[in-house]
Amino acid sequence: MSISRLERPPSCPSPGSNLPPPRGKGPFAQAIGQARRIGAISRGALAAGVCALCALPIALLALLSLAARWPYPEIWPGEIRLDPWRELLDFQHGGLPRVLGASILLSTVVALVSTALSYLAAKRIAAHPARARLSLLAYAPYVMSPVVLGVCLLYLYLKLGLAGTFPGVVLAQTIFATSFGVVFFLGFWNEEKRALEDLVRTLGGTTWQLYSRVLLPISRGPLGLCAFQTFLISWFQYGLTVLIGGGAVQTLPMKVFDYVNEANLSYAALASLLLVLPPLLLLWVNKRLFFRIV
Amino acid sequence: MKISAPRSSTSRPERAAFALFLLAAVLPIAASLGYALLYTIGLAGLLSTGFSLHSWTKMFAAGELWTSFGLSVAVAAVVVVLATAGGLVLSLTLRGSIESGPLGTFLYLPLALPYTVAGFVTYQLLAPTGLFSRLAFRLGWVAGPADFPALTNDRFALGILVAHTALALPFMALLFTQLQASERVDRYAALARSLGATPGQALRRVVVPMLLTRAATPMLLLFVVVLGSYEIPLLLGRQAPQMLSVLTYRKWQRFDILQKPEAFVVALVYTAFALAVLALALRRTRAEGSG
Repeated sequence: MSISRLERPPSCPSPGSNLPPPRGKGPFAQAIGQARRIGAISRGALAAGVCALCALPIALLALLSLAARWPYPEIWPGEIRLDPWRELLDFQHGGLPRVLGASILLSTVVALVSTALSYLAAKRIAAHPARARLSLLAYAPYVMSPVVLGVCLLYLYLKLGLAGTFPGVVLAQTIFATSFGVVFFLGFWNEEKRALEDLVRTLGGTTWQLYSRVLLPISRGPLGLCAFQTFLISWFQYGLTVLIGGGAVQTLPMKVFDYVNEANLSYAALASLLLVLPPLLLLWVNKRLFFRIV
Repeated sequence: MKISAPRSSTSRPERAAFALFLLAAVLPIAASLGYALLYTIGLAGLLSTGFSLHSWTKMFAAGELWTSFGLSVAVAAVVVVLATAGGLVLSLTLRGSIESGPLGTFLYLPLALPYTVAGFVTYQLLAPTGLFSRLAFRLGWVAGPADFPALTNDRFALGILVAHTALALPFMALLFTQLQASERVDRYAALARSLGATPGQALRRVVVPMLLTRAATPMLLLFVVVLGSYEIPLLLGRQAPQMLSVLTYRKWQRFDILQKPEAFVVALVYTAFALAVLALALRRTRAEGSG
């Protein structure tokens, strides 16, 4: 008998599923009904509590970014001001807009370079006889601490004259982003894609035709997803940027730390909200894609 | 006429990209780790005076490395246990809400927080003058900030644990909810029930072991990620002991040049351990794939 053909007995609901109302009107059935109602209410309360806890960080950041004065032991800010938000739009004098622009540029370049590189490199690795070992090479930078690797990499970057430069930070972040991209695309380059490629070759297609007419059109979704994720890897990066950039290249996570050190909580909260914006945008677009990414 | 189907071969762009990946990503890391190793044994760098294990013996004899290593492993392990347990409970009790209710959206919000922001927010919540302390004051539980228990920069690393767990728990809850559906856990539980198991036995002996087995690889990767975390322990940890990444950076940035080999020793110990856990995780994935 196949397990998949088994039907769930009525007395064995799945955890969390909605139960049918008890049959009959005896005291036993009433007690069961009451217990189920209490269970449903407590589950509802638990769900509401978890929702509130999940939203708390974003709400707190929004409040902090608007608070002019929030002395202890006030629960709400004593005074609200929009100055930090106004400065965000002051591109000529504000420090934050410049850093925001630099962060966007840095993350976009890293995303484009690492996505293109990992898309092609993963195809080579997927078809390579030593795929398992090469996968380990791709995974290694992805799971390792950027700060620890950054400390080891710094000497090389100093020798190459890349430390403290924008291209140096791009290159260092690309290492981690490309590793992620290779891991991401390894599953994409499966037997199905290989069969498609074989078909195109059999029909006399060139490499250019293979990519432009077959592989790139079917890769549009994964490519976009990988580009966004590598954008986020760069967008969130702090330790590696500090080490390789040496303070010369300023990004949003660095501004958060700077503002925290200055005890400038409003600006720290505003910079934090800006950091959170792209992933929230992705969440709004499609939360399932977001889960695959994170 | 003999017709042979062409096997897909790698084209020039792929070979070039692969070579570039090796050149730009793998080679610098390998070279840097090699240089770090040579630096620690006196064969490279400003302090090179010939082969010597002085840095290694000094760091291994000093308690700082092992305290830091122990703290990092303990924090990572506790975070994995708490996030897994909490994620399991949420997934098993609120599966319906996660799959089709607003909770399914709200659980994604913490996943949008980078470590820098998570550390900052956790401090604003748990610090002696933070939001929770203010609430405790309003409720009459504490007389002032000094009465509030130390939850940040504390000796038990509670702030670090809270921040990491708050980020990882929703991830695990979503993962377990997906696994419940993809692994058809309900049907196995139903089979156990039809064979006479009680609901508790079906949960303990079928559902939970199945979910934990399938989530083992993400749990190992979570362990490695927390082990090497930097931003959260930097904001919420103490000056001593420090987690491995913070210790590495602190030793590196000191003006005392003699500390640099020690920074490399910490980095290499961390790297060896992280790679061992990664290899274990990948072996598990391959075993699952072939099993």
